[in-house]
Amino acid sequence: MKISNNEKVIGYFGFPSRRILGEARKRYGERLELVDLDVAVGAPDSGLLNTTTCRIIANVIDNAVYLSGRLAAVVADVGESKCDRGRHAAFLLREMGFEVMESRFPRDEFENRDLIYSTGRGPLPDRINAIMDTVVDPTDPGREAVTSCEPTHGFWGVPPNDFRILEVFPETTHIFGWTRCVEAGRPGDLEMECYVEEGLPTVFFAQSFCAKQDLAHHLAGRNNGLYVDCHRSVNHSILSKVEAFIKLS
Amino acid sequence: MLLADCGSTWTKIYDTENDTLRIIQTSEMVECNNCHFAIATGHSARSRCNLFRNELLALASGARAMVDSSSFTVVDVGGRDIKLISIENGRIGKIDWNLACGSTTGATIELLGRYYGIDFSEMEPSDEWINVTCGVFGMEKVLEFVSTGGLPSEGLARFIHGLVRNVHNFAGRPRRLYLSGGFCENSCFVGTMEKYCEVIPLGRAVLVEGLKAVQDE
Ligand code: SF4
Repeated sequence: MKISNNEKVIGYFGFPSRRILGEARKRYGERLELVDLDVAVGAPDSGLLNTTTCRIIANVIDNAVYLSGRLAAVVADVGESKCDRGRHAAFLLREMGFEVMESRFPRDEFENRDLIYSTGRGPLPDRINAIMDTVVDPTDPGREAVTSCEPTHGFWGVPPNDFRILEVFPETTHIFGWTRCVEAGRPGDLEMECYVEEGLPTVFFAQSFCAKQDLAHHLAGRNNGLYVDCHRSVNHSILSKVEAFIKLS
Repeated sequence: MLLADCGSTWTKIYDTENDTLRIIQTSEMVECNNCHFAIATGHSARSRCNLFRNELLALASGARAMVDSSSFTVVDVGGRDIKLISIENGRIGKIDWNLACGSTTGATIELLGRYYGIDFSEMEPSDEWINVTCGVFGMEKVLEFVSTGGLPSEGLARFIHGLVRNVHNFAGRPRRLYLSGGFCENSCFVGTMEKYCEVIPLGRAVLVEGLKAVQDE
Protein backbone atom coordinates (compact mmCIF):
# COMPACT_ATOMS: atom_id res chain seq x y z
CA MET A 1 0.00 0.00 0.00
CA LYS A 2 1.73 3.14 -1.21
CA ILE A 3 0.03 6.36 -0.18
CA SER A 4 1.76 9.46 -1.42
CA ASN A 5 -0.14 12.27 0.29
CA ASN A 6 -3.05 13.03 2.57
CA GLU A 7 -5.75 13.07 -0.07
CA LYS A 8 -8.63 10.66 -0.35
CA VAL A 9 -7.87 7.27 -1.83
CA ILE A 10 -9.84 4.33 -3.18
CA GLY A 11 -9.02 1.07 -1.45
CA TYR A 12 -9.43 -2.30 -3.11
CA PHE A 13 -8.72 -5.89 -2.27
CA GLY A 14 -8.29 -9.06 -4.30
CA PHE A 15 -8.54 -8.59 -8.05
CA PRO A 16 -11.63 -6.52 -8.80
CA SER A 17 -12.79 -6.47 -12.38
CA ARG A 18 -11.17 -3.67 -14.33
CA ARG A 19 -14.65 -2.50 -15.34
CA ILE A 20 -15.70 -2.01 -11.68
CA LEU A 21 -12.39 -0.36 -10.79
CA GLY A 22 -13.00 2.03 -13.68
CA GLU A 23 -16.54 2.75 -12.45
CA ALA A 24 -15.21 3.43 -8.95
CA ARG A 25 -12.74 5.92 -10.36
CA LYS A 26 -15.47 7.62 -12.37
CA ARG A 27 -17.72 7.82 -9.34
CA TYR A 28 -15.21 8.86 -6.68
CA GLY A 29 -12.54 10.68 -8.66
CA GLU A 30 -10.39 9.75 -11.64
CA ARG A 31 -7.28 11.07 -9.97
CA LEU A 32 -7.67 9.27 -6.67
CA GLU A 33 -4.92 6.84 -5.89
CA LEU A 34 -5.87 3.15 -5.78
CA VAL A 35 -4.39 1.36 -2.79
CA ASP A 36 -4.20 -2.38 -2.24
CA LEU A 37 -5.63 -3.09 1.21
CA ASP A 38 -4.42 -6.72 1.19
CA VAL A 39 -0.85 -5.73 1.90
CA ALA A 40 0.66 -5.53 5.41
CA VAL A 41 2.01 -2.03 5.90
CA GLY A 42 2.12 -1.87 9.66
CA ALA A 43 -1.40 -0.57 10.30
CA PRO A 44 -2.27 -1.04 13.98
CA ASP A 45 -4.29 -4.12 14.88
CA SER A 46 -7.94 -3.06 14.82
CA GLY A 47 -8.84 -6.01 17.04
CA LEU A 48 -12.06 -6.43 15.09
CA LEU A 49 -11.42 -9.97 13.87
CA ASN A 50 -10.68 -13.14 15.74
CA THR A 51 -7.12 -14.41 15.78
CA THR A 52 -7.87 -17.34 13.49
CA THR A 53 -8.64 -15.13 10.52
CA CYS A 54 -6.50 -15.24 7.41
CA ARG A 55 -3.87 -12.55 7.84
CA ILE A 56 -4.63 -11.00 4.43
CA ILE A 57 -8.23 -10.33 5.42
CA ALA A 58 -7.03 -8.95 8.75
CA ASN A 59 -4.79 -6.59 6.73
CA VAL A 60 -7.82 -5.45 4.71
CA ILE A 61 -9.80 -4.57 7.84
CA ASP A 62 -6.84 -3.09 9.73
CA ASN A 63 -5.81 -0.95 6.73
CA ALA A 64 -9.38 0.25 6.15
CA VAL A 65 -9.79 1.23 9.80
CA TYR A 66 -6.39 2.91 9.77
CA LEU A 67 -7.19 4.93 6.63
CA SER A 68 -10.74 5.45 7.78
CA GLY A 69 -11.92 8.96 6.65
CA ARG A 70 -9.38 8.98 3.81
CA LEU A 71 -11.07 6.05 2.11
CA ALA A 72 -13.50 7.39 -0.48
CA ALA A 73 -14.61 3.82 -1.12
CA VAL A 74 -13.50 0.21 -1.03
CA VAL A 75 -13.74 -1.92 -4.15
CA ALA A 76 -14.17 -5.40 -2.75
CA ASP A 77 -13.45 -8.58 -4.67
CA VAL A 78 -16.22 -10.82 -3.36
CA GLY A 79 -16.28 -13.46 -6.07
CA GLU A 80 -14.55 -16.73 -6.89
CA SER A 81 -11.61 -14.57 -7.85
CA LYS A 82 -10.95 -14.14 -4.12
CA CYS A 83 -12.77 -16.11 -1.44
CA ASP A 84 -15.70 -16.15 0.96
CA ARG A 85 -13.63 -14.33 3.53
CA GLY A 86 -13.36 -11.47 1.05
CA ARG A 87 -17.15 -11.44 0.68
CA HIS A 88 -17.54 -11.38 4.45
CA ALA A 89 -14.94 -8.62 4.82
CA ALA A 90 -16.96 -6.51 2.34
CA PHE A 91 -20.04 -7.07 4.49
CA LEU A 92 -18.19 -6.08 7.68
CA LEU A 93 -16.76 -2.95 6.06
CA ARG A 94 -20.20 -1.90 4.89
CA GLU A 95 -21.59 -2.46 8.41
CA MET A 96 -18.77 -0.27 9.71
CA GLY A 97 -19.94 2.55 7.48
CA PHE A 98 -17.50 2.29 4.60
CA GLU A 99 -18.66 2.89 1.05
CA VAL A 100 -18.25 -0.51 -0.59
CA MET A 101 -18.49 -1.48 -4.25
CA GLU A 102 -18.58 -5.21 -4.80
CA SER A 103 -16.85 -6.87 -7.70
CA ARG A 104 -17.05 -10.33 -9.17
CA PHE A 105 -14.66 -11.06 -11.99
CA PRO A 106 -16.86 -12.83 -14.53
CA ARG A 107 -15.45 -15.47 -16.88
CA ASP A 108 -16.41 -13.42 -19.92
CA GLU A 109 -14.03 -10.69 -18.70
CA PHE A 110 -11.13 -13.15 -18.40
CA GLU A 111 -8.08 -12.01 -20.33
CA ASN A 112 -5.17 -13.88 -21.79
CA ARG A 113 -2.23 -11.72 -20.95
CA ASP A 114 1.37 -12.81 -21.46
CA LEU A 115 2.98 -14.43 -18.42
CA ILE A 116 6.02 -12.23 -18.52
CA TYR A 117 6.77 -12.02 -14.81
CA SER A 118 5.57 -15.54 -13.96
CA THR A 119 7.93 -17.16 -16.42
CA GLY A 120 10.73 -14.63 -16.14
CA ARG A 121 13.96 -14.50 -14.23
CA GLY A 122 14.57 -12.15 -11.31
CA PRO A 123 13.99 -11.76 -7.59
CA LEU A 124 10.69 -13.43 -6.77
CA PRO A 125 9.40 -10.66 -4.43
CA ASP A 126 9.91 -8.04 -7.18
CA ARG A 127 8.14 -10.12 -9.82
CA ILE A 128 5.19 -10.82 -7.53
CA ASN A 129 4.90 -7.13 -6.68
CA ALA A 130 5.03 -6.31 -10.39
CA ILE A 131 2.22 -8.79 -11.05
CA MET A 132 0.05 -7.30 -8.32
CA ASP A 133 0.66 -3.82 -9.74
CA THR A 134 -0.99 -4.96 -12.99
CA VAL A 135 -4.34 -5.05 -11.17
CA VAL A 136 -4.50 -1.25 -11.35
CA ASP A 137 -2.10 -0.69 -14.24
CA PRO A 138 -2.54 -3.37 -16.86
CA THR A 139 -0.21 -1.71 -19.35
CA ASP A 140 1.73 -4.45 -21.11
CA PRO A 141 5.26 -4.23 -19.69
CA GLY A 142 6.61 -5.88 -22.84
CA ARG A 143 8.59 -9.10 -23.10
CA GLU A 144 11.81 -7.20 -22.53
CA ALA A 145 10.72 -6.14 -18.99
CA VAL A 146 12.05 -9.44 -17.65
CA THR A 147 14.25 -12.07 -19.27
CA SER A 148 12.39 -15.34 -19.61
CA CYS A 149 14.13 -18.43 -18.31
CA GLU A 150 13.90 -22.18 -17.89
CA PRO A 151 12.57 -22.75 -14.39
CA THR A 152 14.54 -24.59 -11.72
CA HIS A 153 11.79 -24.24 -9.10
CA GLY A 154 8.18 -23.17 -8.76
CA PHE A 155 6.27 -21.02 -6.31
CA TRP A 156 2.54 -21.68 -6.17
CA GLY A 157 0.17 -19.48 -4.20
CA VAL A 158 -1.04 -16.04 -3.30
CA PRO A 159 1.33 -13.17 -2.45
CA PRO A 160 2.23 -13.98 1.15
CA ASN A 161 1.67 -11.68 4.08
CA ASP A 162 5.38 -11.92 4.89
CA PHE A 163 7.49 -11.58 1.76
CA ARG A 164 10.62 -12.87 3.51
CA ILE A 165 9.60 -16.38 2.48
CA LEU A 166 10.01 -15.33 -1.16
CA GLU A 167 13.59 -14.20 -0.65
CA VAL A 168 14.74 -17.80 -0.21
CA PHE A 169 13.81 -18.73 -3.79
CA PRO A 170 16.31 -18.57 -6.66
CA GLU A 171 15.74 -16.08 -9.47
CA THR A 172 14.86 -18.94 -11.81
CA THR A 173 11.62 -19.68 -9.93
CA HIS A 174 8.45 -19.61 -11.99
CA ILE A 175 5.18 -18.43 -10.50
CA PHE A 176 1.99 -20.51 -10.39
CA GLY A 177 -1.39 -20.52 -8.68
CA TRP A 178 -3.53 -17.46 -8.01
CA THR A 179 -0.64 -15.03 -8.61
CA ARG A 180 -0.12 -16.45 -12.10
CA CYS A 181 -3.87 -16.12 -12.72
CA VAL A 182 -3.62 -12.44 -11.76
CA GLU A 183 -0.89 -11.87 -14.32
CA ALA A 184 -2.96 -13.63 -16.97
CA GLY A 185 -5.99 -11.54 -15.99
CA ARG A 186 -7.98 -14.64 -15.05
CA PRO A 187 -8.54 -14.69 -11.26
CA GLY A 188 -10.92 -17.49 -10.35
CA ASP A 189 -9.80 -19.70 -13.23
CA LEU A 190 -9.45 -22.85 -11.14
CA GLU A 191 -7.93 -24.86 -13.94
CA MET A 192 -5.17 -22.32 -14.42
CA GLU A 193 -4.75 -21.96 -10.66
CA CYS A 194 -4.09 -25.69 -10.32
CA TYR A 195 -1.61 -25.86 -13.18
CA VAL A 196 2.03 -26.52 -12.31
CA GLU A 197 4.85 -27.83 -14.44
CA GLU A 198 5.27 -31.56 -14.12
CA GLY A 199 8.45 -32.57 -12.36
CA LEU A 200 9.35 -29.01 -11.37
CA PRO A 201 10.21 -28.82 -7.64
CA THR A 202 7.46 -26.52 -6.43
CA VAL A 203 6.61 -24.98 -3.07
CA PHE A 204 2.86 -24.78 -2.51
CA PHE A 205 2.19 -21.86 -0.22
CA ALA A 206 -1.07 -20.83 1.45
CA GLN A 207 -1.89 -18.39 4.20
CA SER A 208 -3.06 -20.20 7.33
CA PHE A 209 -6.85 -20.23 7.73
CA CYS A 210 -7.37 -19.89 3.97
CA ALA A 211 -9.44 -22.36 1.96
CA LYS A 212 -6.57 -22.54 -0.52
CA GLN A 213 -4.71 -24.62 2.08
CA ASP A 214 -6.77 -27.59 0.86
CA LEU A 215 -5.71 -26.97 -2.75
CA ALA A 216 -2.09 -26.37 -1.82
CA HIS A 217 -1.93 -29.52 0.28
CA HIS A 218 -3.55 -31.64 -2.41
CA LEU A 219 -1.41 -30.27 -5.23
CA ALA A 220 1.78 -30.66 -3.19
CA GLY A 221 0.94 -34.34 -2.67
CA ARG A 222 0.10 -34.85 -6.34
CA ASN A 223 3.23 -33.11 -7.59
CA ASN A 224 5.72 -34.21 -4.97
CA GLY A 225 6.12 -30.61 -3.86
CA LEU A 226 6.46 -28.95 -0.51
CA TYR A 227 3.34 -27.70 1.24
CA VAL A 228 3.85 -24.68 3.49
CA ASP A 229 1.37 -22.52 5.32
CA CYS A 230 2.11 -19.49 7.39
CA HIS A 231 -0.01 -17.09 9.42
CA ARG A 232 1.60 -13.77 10.35
CA SER A 233 5.38 -13.86 10.01
CA VAL A 234 7.51 -16.67 8.71
CA ASN A 235 9.60 -18.39 11.34
CA HIS A 236 12.93 -20.19 11.29
CA SER A 237 11.41 -23.62 10.71
CA ILE A 238 9.32 -22.48 7.72
CA LEU A 239 12.29 -20.74 6.11
CA SER A 240 14.50 -23.77 6.78
CA LYS A 241 11.96 -26.12 5.20
CA VAL A 242 11.77 -24.05 2.05
CA GLU A 243 15.53 -23.56 1.93
CA ALA A 244 16.15 -27.29 2.39
CA PHE A 245 13.58 -28.21 -0.27
CA ILE A 246 15.13 -25.80 -2.75
CA LYS A 247 18.69 -26.95 -2.08
CA LEU A 248 17.91 -30.67 -2.01
CA SER A 249 15.54 -30.96 -4.95
CA MET B 1 37.96 -27.00 14.31
CA LEU B 2 34.68 -27.12 16.25
CA LEU B 3 31.41 -28.22 14.67
CA ALA B 4 28.25 -27.84 16.73
CA ASP B 5 24.66 -28.96 16.63
CA CYS B 6 22.94 -26.58 19.05
CA GLY B 7 19.59 -28.19 19.77
CA SER B 8 16.93 -26.67 21.98
CA THR B 9 18.02 -28.74 25.00
CA TRP B 10 21.41 -30.25 24.19
CA THR B 11 24.40 -28.99 22.24
CA LYS B 12 26.64 -31.55 20.55
CA ILE B 13 30.16 -30.24 19.91
CA TYR B 14 32.53 -32.18 17.70
CA ASP B 15 36.23 -31.40 17.72
CA THR B 16 37.78 -32.37 14.39
CA GLU B 17 41.32 -32.20 15.81
CA ASN B 18 40.92 -35.02 18.29
CA ASP B 19 37.75 -36.66 16.94
CA THR B 20 35.75 -36.17 20.14
CA LEU B 21 32.10 -35.38 20.72
CA ARG B 22 31.12 -33.39 23.79
CA ILE B 23 27.50 -32.94 24.80
CA ILE B 24 26.52 -30.02 27.01
CA GLN B 25 23.24 -28.37 27.91
CA THR B 26 22.26 -25.64 25.45
CA SER B 27 21.50 -23.35 28.39
CA GLU B 28 25.20 -23.70 29.33
CA MET B 29 26.28 -23.02 25.75
CA VAL B 30 24.24 -19.80 25.43
CA GLU B 31 25.72 -18.46 28.64
CA CYS B 32 29.27 -19.11 27.48
CA ASN B 33 30.66 -15.90 25.98
CA ASN B 34 33.48 -17.49 24.01
CA CYS B 35 31.61 -20.45 22.53
CA HIS B 36 32.24 -20.02 18.83
CA PHE B 37 32.15 -22.69 16.16
CA ALA B 38 33.52 -23.07 12.66
CA ILE B 39 30.32 -24.64 11.33
CA ALA B 40 27.08 -24.99 13.27
CA THR B 41 23.40 -25.73 13.06
CA GLY B 42 20.50 -24.88 15.38
CA HIS B 43 18.83 -21.52 15.84
CA SER B 44 20.89 -20.50 18.86
CA ALA B 45 24.09 -21.11 16.88
CA ARG B 46 23.40 -18.50 14.21
CA SER B 47 25.46 -15.76 15.80
CA ARG B 48 28.08 -18.14 17.17
CA CYS B 49 29.57 -19.61 14.03
CA ASN B 50 31.47 -18.77 10.87
CA LEU B 51 29.19 -20.87 8.72
CA PHE B 52 25.57 -21.69 9.51
CA ARG B 53 23.71 -24.63 8.04
CA ASN B 54 20.00 -25.06 8.67
CA GLU B 55 18.91 -28.09 10.67
CA LEU B 56 17.06 -29.88 7.88
CA LEU B 57 20.00 -29.58 5.51
CA ALA B 58 22.32 -30.89 8.24
CA LEU B 59 19.96 -33.79 8.95
CA ALA B 60 19.70 -34.67 5.26
CA SER B 61 23.47 -34.63 4.70
CA GLY B 62 24.14 -36.51 7.93
CA ALA B 63 21.60 -39.21 7.18
CA ARG B 64 22.85 -39.56 3.60
CA ALA B 65 26.36 -40.09 4.97
CA MET B 66 25.21 -42.68 7.50
CA VAL B 67 22.51 -44.65 5.67
CA ASP B 68 23.56 -47.02 2.95
CA SER B 69 20.38 -46.86 0.89
CA SER B 70 18.96 -44.63 -1.82
CA SER B 71 15.47 -44.67 -0.29
CA PHE B 72 14.90 -44.07 3.40
CA THR B 73 13.05 -42.02 5.98
CA VAL B 74 14.79 -40.39 8.91
CA VAL B 75 13.25 -38.48 11.80
CA ASP B 76 15.04 -36.43 14.37
CA VAL B 77 13.04 -36.22 17.57
CA GLY B 78 14.26 -33.34 19.65
CA GLY B 79 13.26 -31.55 22.83
CA ARG B 80 10.69 -29.33 21.19
CA ASP B 81 10.23 -30.48 17.62
CA ILE B 82 10.36 -33.29 15.10
CA LYS B 83 12.24 -33.07 11.81
CA LEU B 84 11.67 -35.38 8.89
CA ILE B 85 13.53 -36.14 5.68
CA SER B 86 12.55 -38.89 3.30
CA ILE B 87 14.68 -39.76 0.31
CA GLU B 88 13.24 -41.72 -2.59
CA ASN B 89 15.68 -43.14 -5.14
CA GLY B 90 18.28 -40.60 -4.12
CA ARG B 91 15.89 -37.66 -4.55
CA ILE B 92 14.19 -35.72 -1.85
CA GLY B 93 10.69 -37.10 -1.19
CA LYS B 94 9.40 -35.28 1.83
CA ILE B 95 10.70 -32.58 4.15
CA ASP B 96 8.92 -31.46 7.25
CA TRP B 97 9.55 -29.80 10.55
CA ASN B 98 6.85 -30.07 13.13
CA LEU B 99 7.33 -27.28 15.57
CA ALA B 100 3.83 -26.08 16.35
CA CYS B 101 2.02 -29.40 16.84
CA GLY B 102 4.82 -31.54 18.24
CA SER B 103 5.89 -28.83 20.56
CA THR B 104 7.89 -29.63 23.66
CA THR B 105 6.96 -33.31 23.77
CA GLY B 106 10.59 -34.44 24.01
CA ALA B 107 11.45 -31.93 26.71
CA THR B 108 8.31 -32.89 28.64
CA ILE B 109 9.45 -36.51 28.82
CA GLU B 110 12.75 -35.41 30.33
CA LEU B 111 10.96 -33.11 32.76
CA LEU B 112 8.50 -35.77 33.91
CA GLY B 113 11.29 -38.35 34.19
CA ARG B 114 13.20 -36.04 36.51
CA TYR B 115 10.06 -35.09 38.44
CA TYR B 116 9.16 -38.71 39.18
CA GLY B 117 12.82 -39.87 39.47
CA ILE B 118 12.41 -42.43 36.69
CA ASP B 119 15.31 -44.46 35.34
CA PHE B 120 14.55 -44.62 31.61
CA SER B 121 16.79 -47.64 31.11
CA GLU B 122 14.47 -49.71 33.26
CA MET B 123 11.23 -48.48 31.76
CA GLU B 124 9.20 -51.01 29.76
CA PRO B 125 7.20 -50.03 26.66
CA SER B 126 3.47 -49.91 27.26
CA ASP B 127 0.72 -51.28 24.98
CA GLU B 128 -1.51 -48.41 26.09
CA TRP B 129 -1.09 -44.86 24.91
CA ILE B 130 -2.37 -41.43 25.72
CA ASN B 131 -3.18 -38.67 23.29
CA VAL B 132 -0.17 -36.40 23.18
CA THR B 133 -1.49 -33.32 21.39
CA CYS B 134 1.42 -31.36 22.79
CA GLY B 135 3.73 -31.49 25.79
CA VAL B 136 1.38 -29.65 28.12
CA PHE B 137 -1.75 -31.68 27.26
CA GLY B 138 0.25 -34.90 27.51
CA MET B 139 1.75 -33.92 30.86
CA GLU B 140 -1.70 -33.20 32.23
CA LYS B 141 -2.81 -36.72 31.27
CA VAL B 142 0.22 -38.30 32.98
CA LEU B 143 -0.38 -36.29 36.17
CA GLU B 144 -4.00 -37.38 36.17
CA PHE B 145 -3.03 -41.03 35.57
CA VAL B 146 -0.69 -40.93 38.55
CA SER B 147 -3.16 -39.07 40.75
CA THR B 148 -5.73 -41.81 40.15
CA GLY B 149 -3.34 -44.53 41.32
CA GLY B 150 -1.29 -45.36 38.21
CA LEU B 151 2.46 -45.94 38.40
CA PRO B 152 4.49 -42.93 37.19
CA SER B 153 6.65 -45.19 34.98
CA GLU B 154 3.54 -46.60 33.30
CA GLY B 155 2.09 -43.10 32.85
CA LEU B 156 5.29 -41.94 31.21
CA ALA B 157 5.50 -45.07 29.04
CA ARG B 158 1.98 -44.28 27.78
CA PHE B 159 3.06 -40.71 27.06
CA ILE B 160 6.03 -42.08 25.10
CA HIS B 161 3.68 -44.41 23.23
CA GLY B 162 1.51 -41.39 22.30
CA LEU B 163 4.58 -39.53 21.05
CA VAL B 164 5.73 -42.60 19.08
CA ARG B 165 2.36 -42.74 17.31
CA ASN B 166 2.64 -39.06 16.41
CA VAL B 167 6.17 -39.51 15.10
CA HIS B 168 5.25 -42.60 13.08
CA ASN B 169 2.25 -40.85 11.49
CA PHE B 170 4.28 -37.69 10.87
CA ALA B 171 6.89 -39.78 9.05
CA GLY B 172 4.20 -41.21 6.76
CA ARG B 173 4.09 -44.63 8.49
CA PRO B 174 7.20 -46.12 6.90
CA ARG B 175 8.07 -49.78 7.37
CA ARG B 176 11.61 -48.87 8.35
CA LEU B 177 12.49 -45.70 10.21
CA TYR B 178 15.94 -44.27 10.86
CA LEU B 179 15.94 -42.41 14.14
CA SER B 180 18.16 -39.46 15.01
CA GLY B 181 18.53 -37.62 18.31
CA GLY B 182 18.54 -38.31 22.02
CA PHE B 183 15.64 -40.78 21.86
CA CYS B 184 17.96 -43.30 20.18
CA GLU B 185 19.23 -43.90 23.73
CA ASN B 186 15.76 -44.31 25.22
CA SER B 187 15.00 -48.03 25.08
CA CYS B 188 11.34 -47.47 25.95
CA PHE B 189 10.94 -45.11 22.98
CA VAL B 190 12.78 -47.43 20.58
CA GLY B 191 10.93 -50.50 21.91
CA THR B 192 7.58 -48.77 21.52
CA MET B 193 8.41 -47.64 17.98
CA GLU B 194 9.26 -51.27 17.14
CA LYS B 195 5.57 -52.06 17.63
CA TYR B 196 4.95 -50.01 14.48
CA CYS B 197 8.00 -50.44 12.26
CA GLU B 198 11.61 -51.50 12.08
CA VAL B 199 13.74 -48.87 13.85
CA ILE B 200 17.37 -48.14 13.15
CA PRO B 201 18.83 -45.69 15.68
CA LEU B 202 21.54 -43.49 14.17
CA GLY B 203 22.49 -41.78 17.42
CA ARG B 204 22.77 -38.20 18.55
CA ALA B 205 25.40 -37.01 16.12
CA VAL B 206 23.57 -37.21 12.78
CA LEU B 207 23.43 -33.43 12.35
CA VAL B 208 27.10 -33.21 13.31
CA GLU B 209 27.81 -35.77 10.56
CA GLY B 210 25.92 -33.43 8.23
CA LEU B 211 28.21 -30.58 9.28
CA LYS B 212 31.26 -32.74 8.54
CA ALA B 213 29.91 -33.09 5.01
CA VAL B 214 29.77 -29.27 4.77
CA GLN B 215 33.38 -29.16 5.84
CA ASP B 216 34.24 -31.52 2.98
CA GLU B 217 32.34 -29.49 0.37
S1 SF4 C 1 -5.25 -15.80 1.57
FE1 SF4 C 1 -7.05 -17.07 1.18
S2 SF4 C 1 -8.52 -16.56 2.79
FE2 SF4 C 1 -6.95 -14.98 2.73
S3 SF4 C 1 -7.79 -13.40 1.44
FE3 SF4 C 1 -6.53 -14.68 0.13
S4 SF4 C 1 -7.90 -16.23 -0.69
FE4 SF4 C 1 -8.97 -15.24 1.03
